[in-house]
Amino acid sequence: MTFHRLAIALTFAFATFAAPLYSDTLPKPTGPVILTISGEIENTNVDGTAQFDRVMLRALDNAEIVTETIWTPATHTFTGVRLETLLEHVGAKGGLIKATAINDYTVEIPTSDATAGGPIVAFAMDGQQMSRRDKGPLWVIYPFSSSSDYRTEVIYSRSIWQLDRMTIEE
Amino acid sequence: MIQALSNRREGDASLWRRGRILLTGIGLLCVVSIVFLVSEIVQELRFLNSASSDNVHWVLSQSEVELLEFENAVIAAQQDGSQRQLDFLVVEFDVFYSRMTTLAVGSLYTDLRAINEFGQPIAEIRAKLENMIPVIDGSADQLRQGLPVLHQEANEIRPLLRRASTTGLQYFAELSDRSRASVSWTLLRLALITVALLMALVILLGHTRRVSKETENHGYELADAYARLNTILETSLDAVVVSDMEGRILNFNSAAERIFQHSFDDVVGKNIGEIIIPDHLKPAHDAGMKRMRETGEQKVVGHGRVRLEAKRKNGEVFPVELALEKAQADDDELLVAFLRDISHRVASENELVEARDKALAGEKAKAEFLAMMTHEIRTPLNGLLGNLALLEKTHLSKGQDRYVRNMGLSGETLMHHVDAVLDVARFESGTSTSKEEVVHLGQLVQGIVDAQASAAEANGNHIQWGWLDEPLEWVRIDASRLQQVLLNLVGNAIKFTHDGRISIEMEQSRLTGEERALEMRVIDSGIGISDENQERIFDDFQTIDDANVAGVSGTGLGLGIARRFIEAMGGEIGVESTPGEGSVFWLRIPVVPETGPKVSHIPEQPVQVVPCDLLLVEDNEINLEVAREMLVSHGHTVTVARDGEEAVETANTRRFDLILMDIRMPKLDGLGATRLIREGGGANHDAPIIAFSANVLPEAKDRFTAAGMTGFLPKPLNENELRQVLAKFGPGADHSHTTDKPKVEKPMEHAVELSPLEKLKHRHIDETRDLFDWLASAPSDHNEIAERAHKVAGSAAAFGQSGLREALVAVEMAAEAGDGSALDSALESARKAWQDAPEPTLA
Repeated sequence: MTFHRLAIALTFAFATFAAPLYSDTLPKPTGPVILTISGEIENTNVDGTAQFDRVMLRALDNAEIVTETIWTPATHTFTGVRLETLLEHVGAKGGLIKATAINDYTVEIPTSDATAGGPIVAFAMDGQQMSRRDKGPLWVIYPFSSSSDYRTEVIYSRSIWQLDRMTIEE
Repeated sequence: MIQALSNRREGDASLWRRGRILLTGIGLLCVVSIVFLVSEIVQELRFLNSASSDNVHWVLSQSEVELLEFENAVIAAQQDGSQRQLDFLVVEFDVFYSRMTTLAVGSLYTDLRAINEFGQPIAEIRAKLENMIPVIDGSADQLRQGLPVLHQEANEIRPLLRRASTTGLQYFAELSDRSRASVSWTLLRLALITVALLMALVILLGHTRRVSKETENHGYELADAYARLNTILETSLDAVVVSDMEGRILNFNSAAERIFQHSFDDVVGKNIGEIIIPDHLKPAHDAGMKRMRETGEQKVVGHGRVRLEAKRKNGEVFPVELALEKAQADDDELLVAFLRDISHRVASENELVEARDKALAGEKAKAEFLAMMTHEIRTPLNGLLGNLALLEKTHLSKGQDRYVRNMGLSGETLMHHVDAVLDVARFESGTSTSKEEVVHLGQLVQGIVDAQASAAEANGNHIQWGWLDEPLEWVRIDASRLQQVLLNLVGNAIKFTHDGRISIEMEQSRLTGEERALEMRVIDSGIGISDENQERIFDDFQTIDDANVAGVSGTGLGLGIARRFIEAMGGEIGVESTPGEGSVFWLRIPVVPETGPKVSHIPEQPVQVVPCDLLLVEDNEINLEVAREMLVSHGHTVTVARDGEEAVETANTRRFDLILMDIRMPKLDGLGATRLIREGGGANHDAPIIAFSANVLPEAKDRFTAAGMTGFLPKPLNENELRQVLAKFGPGADHSHTTDKPKVEKPMEHAVELSPLEKLKHRHIDETRDLFDWLASAPSDHNEIAERAHKVAGSAAAFGQSGLREALVAVEMAAEAGDGSALDSALESARKAWQDAPEPTLA
């Protein structure tokens, strides 16, 4: 009996103490969510994840990369949030990002890629926001033209388009 | 040796240079190859790095998967037309659309799109997708109604996509193959270049080993050469001292140790000036070293052997021969001194010089002895002959007269011998010099024949001369010597021929240019000379001891002198002879013909001499008397002085027309006296002073002239010479012609008509006539008869009137004997002989 009570009590206690773990530190999205970051992050807003609408992403420090890509015909100016900025913003603590596209295509990006001159999570190409049909809403863009280090198959494979989810892992 | 080494070293250097160039070349080649290789590899790596391919196979398959998913979504929507299904359909459409856009515009697929099999289906698919967009983006109902169309379209797209995908896969497979081929080619090249590089390294290694081997060998050779050099230095007889430019001794070989008596260890590093330079040369040495260091001027260095003095350890200074050279050893300059101790050589040189001086002194003594002997022999001989001449003029008995004449003959022979010895001595000492003049050959030979005619006559010989062909008249030649040689040959011919014939043949032949060869042959029919004697008669002091020629005496010098003279003229002389038949003495000399008979030496005319007031200086009483008698007999006034001092005193008293001065005299000799008279400014300061000496050597005459003497008169006194001198220098003489200038030749025909021989002939004829005129007056003085007959007899012999001569000799002998009847008969015979006598001739 006592055991049963204790078990109930513990369950209760767990539930009571678990609640503050989900205390959301980020503002909640107001428009359609285009990116959801989960996993080992410190700052969340919805159900232990960090969800962003287009306005929220634009509100962060934006960056531009002017580069060619092998998937487009010419040089384009990509506008977005640096992966580094984004990871800091959500307080990511893991070493690996699993990035997934709308059709569930998933790639692994080590957080070490997220540097000051590194990739951005682009939401606009040549000033136009990218539609889902044009590899939008989000596209991980590396500065391919700046270095041959960014023109490798691994980097090409990490340049995921139609991105909508990220999971930070240890 | 050192030269050889340095050549070697140069050779090595060039080998090294070549090796270094080769090494550098190979190194550069390697660097270039490596750079090339690296760039190749970097390019390849860049190609591999810049994966322009993405994961193409996956993309192409993925596009088919995405088409299927879209199709599935269409089918699912047809079954369950919920909004959720519709939304899902749109997502799948967008995903597929996006993929197709990538294939249609992506730069990666530009090349691929150029292939029709890929480009066309992709374009068709894009067109179909564009057509779907209004349905997809339309309302939910429109979408639901269009689902069958979408389904059908998707079915149509599938084969198109399949085709494009297959083409793409094939294209990229080929691309991949090409890439592999390119990589493998690069790797092959890499391998080839690596092999080449390896080979180059092997060659380099070989070369390096060779060079190092050579270096090693050079090292051995250098060591050997150094050892050899050291051996040479150590065994050298010359001292070798090496110093630096400051004079510090670096090397001192064992010869140097021996010569200077210092050991190497004692002197090394010390200053050369303090060790081997004698104290008196030290300032000069220091100055020289300083000068060389500062200005580089070299007075001794590199100037061959120099004779200097050096110092031994014990302070002894000795003569050395020094050769100093500057050498370069790396950056340092060295001085190398080669020194030879020449004290022995200098000593023997000094001995040689001494010996030479002694020999010269001996020669001088000989010459002086010769002059002395000439004087000492000729002076008393002069006295003897002079007195004999005087004695001859006194009244003598017939026997006495003969004795006197024999004495005179002997005296003259003795004089002749003395002169012959003098000739040889003069010739050998070189004081007898050749003197060329222009003469008429015919006249020269005629003169000799004339002079020898009486001698030839005495031996019963007939003498003649002539040209074999065209005569050669005027020539330039050493006439005096030729005359002497001919006289000797003719004299010999006469001596060795009795009752025979002597002829002088002359012949000319042409030599080069103007020059002619004159050949003269003196041919006699005398006793001849045997072959063995022919070989030696031209040597000195050779006489022939032969019973046939007993009584003929000589010095044996005549032919020796003749040979010397002829050879000195550039000619030759020889003899051909058959004993019992006769001899031919021939001589051949080059002569230069002269065109004009402008000058010649016609024998002097007998000259008329004005009586003079003379001062005769002579210490020898006999000579004094002889000379005085002769002068007085010529009508001169003679004052005598017996030595130089007396001569100067007497000369100061009054003016003389001429002074005859002996040279060798006590108190003051003739030369001193002459100087005093000339310088005294007295009455005779400009009077002619004639040297009167038995010393007839040319250098003696020069000495006389230098002392201020005007002329020379040889002893013994000869009347003709005396007359010549008086005519030349006495009062009334034209002093502007007192030099030896030849007189202008008279016209030829005149010379022939009035030749002295002709005059002599006329004189002889006159004298003969006078004698017989006088004898016709029956003189009583037998002595005078003998004397005058004797005189004319001599002339008659000379003029070829042997009958007359014999008759007159008979008169002379009868007169001397005082036999009156014999005299009368002799006179009668003589008168007859005179009438029968042939016209006097001289040939």
